[in-house]
Amino acid sequence: MTYLIDILLIALGAALINNFIFYYFVGICPFIGVSRRVEMAFGMGCAVTFVMTIAAAISWTMTRFVLMPGAPLTQWIAGWWLDPQTAAGVDLSILSYIVYIFAIAASVQFVEMYLRRFFPLLYRSFGVFLPLITTNCAILFACLTIMSRLVGVDDPAARWDLGQALVLAIFGGLGFTLAIVIMAGIREELEACDVPTPFRGAPIALIVGGILAMAFMGFTGVDNGLKTALTPPAVVAQAPPTEPPSGAPTP
Amino acid sequence: MIIWVTIGLSVTAMGILAVFFTAVLGWANRAFHVPVDPRIEACVEALPGANCGGCGFVGCREYAAAVVCDAEPVDRCVVGGQACAEALAAIMGVDPTPSLPYRPVVHCGAHTADRLLRAPYHGEPTCAAANLVNGVQGCTYGCLGFGDCQRACQFDAIHVIDGLATVDYTRCVGCGACARACPRNIITMAPFKAERILAVACSNKDSGKDVQRVCKVGCIGCKTCQRTCSLFTVKDNLPSIDYDAYCPDDLGDAIRAMEKCPRHRIVVVGKPSAKDLAALGDEALPDVVTPDFKTTVDDTEWRG
Repeated sequence: MTYLIDILLIALGAALINNFIFYYFVGICPFIGVSRRVEMAFGMGCAVTFVMTIAAAISWTMTRFVLMPGAPLTQWIAGWWLDPQTAAGVDLSILSYIVYIFAIAASVQFVEMYLRRFFPLLYRSFGVFLPLITTNCAILFACLTIMSRLVGVDDPAARWDLGQALVLAIFGGLGFTLAIVIMAGIREELEACDVPTPFRGAPIALIVGGILAMAFMGFTGVDNGLKTALTPPAVVAQAPPTEPPSGAPTP
Repeated sequence: MIIWVTIGLSVTAMGILAVFFTAVLGWANRAFHVPVDPRIEACVEALPGANCGGCGFVGCREYAAAVVCDAEPVDRCVVGGQACAEALAAIMGVDPTPSLPYRPVVHCGAHTADRLLRAPYHGEPTCAAANLVNGVQGCTYGCLGFGDCQRACQFDAIHVIDGLATVDYTRCVGCGACARACPRNIITMAPFKAERILAVACSNKDSGKDVQRVCKVGCIGCKTCQRTCSLFTVKDNLPSIDYDAYCPDDLGDAIRAMEKCPRHRIVVVGKPSAKDLAALGDEALPDVVTPDFKTTVDDTEWRG
């Protein structure tokens, strides 16, 4: 049950509350560059979601079994030459960035070939922005978030498993799609508006993005409230019966 | 010891990843192979590769694809001209249509000293910005001289000389970037039926009295040219030349109109004639300057 609540909170957090674009401001270049038409924006969102999921799966597997300190595969191989105490010190997490970029670039290449074969129109309209997913910070951000929940977490039960990592990636991608599609809808309407000359193009898009981000800030704190509401009351009953100090809210 | 194990494990891990991704992508490359028409590659080879956008497409590759797939006319490339159109026609197996070279003509002839009622302007030094401000100079039609066209040109073929955009026709390829960049729309693309053609070097549509107030050389709309030669049509106090009827071998009336024009606004533009070159022959040519990264000024638009 707690696991399900955890999954729900990760999903909601990635998609809405801590939306990658509107809360962390990562992935802005496709957000501005490919948000001219709704169907293009939707295609971009799908491509990013797909790449993010693949990259998250690969980076979780690599981090969990190879890269993090004390990873089983590394320990086992290092154990051939070193005694167990020294082997525990072997730390391959220095490789994390290069492995993540590697995984992202390979999955982008795969998506590019796939689109070129089956969706040539979408492929042509993406232009340079499709290879640019390689350097999309939203995807690296997802990988690094997953890494931060594995490396340096001492309690083995608190480490994320593959399911949590995939939920973060899929719903983070959905949040990205949602953001870019909303933006594209507004920008399609903007085409018909009499925007003052100095604001045309990117400036008005950035202003609209900022106002949208303010709207999404309204979700802040929803995850804490949901957590409190969904936690089984048995846990609350076990809390010490002493009165909390008046006026001091418990975090 | 531990450092060598770490290095060895890192290399092995990256190597295994590389082999894995190579296998997956290699398979995908064959599974998702898209046959490409070899004529597109041939057309890209035949095009000049300037990617200037003069044909109306984003770049040379897009135009080549449009020629092969959408039966686009082969004479769109202004940089390559006739030779390029023939090469494309040979690849596509169609008859090349004769195409005239289109080159820009600046419809303004006033240098800094000729412009009246100029006010000091301290804003962003671009024509696009200055055009938003009223009263930078008296004439609301003429060249502003901040060089948006110069920055738009990829071929170093248009320069602001003494406050007036001047085309260097020996370098110009006719991509039309300057005409698109000009916020006052005083640069038009004209068909050059000869190396040198006649053009009207003014854009002011106001009445003669108003023109004389703002410019020493501007056209006053006196219609002398229209009365002398049928090529000229004066509309809104401004003559225009009918380039469809223009015949470079029979210009008697037009030359007379040029001589009669009281403001000398009908001018010959184009590549320098033998006479011009001879006149320049006595002058010492400046040394060719090699670019120096320490002194060359960055041409970015924002200097705020």
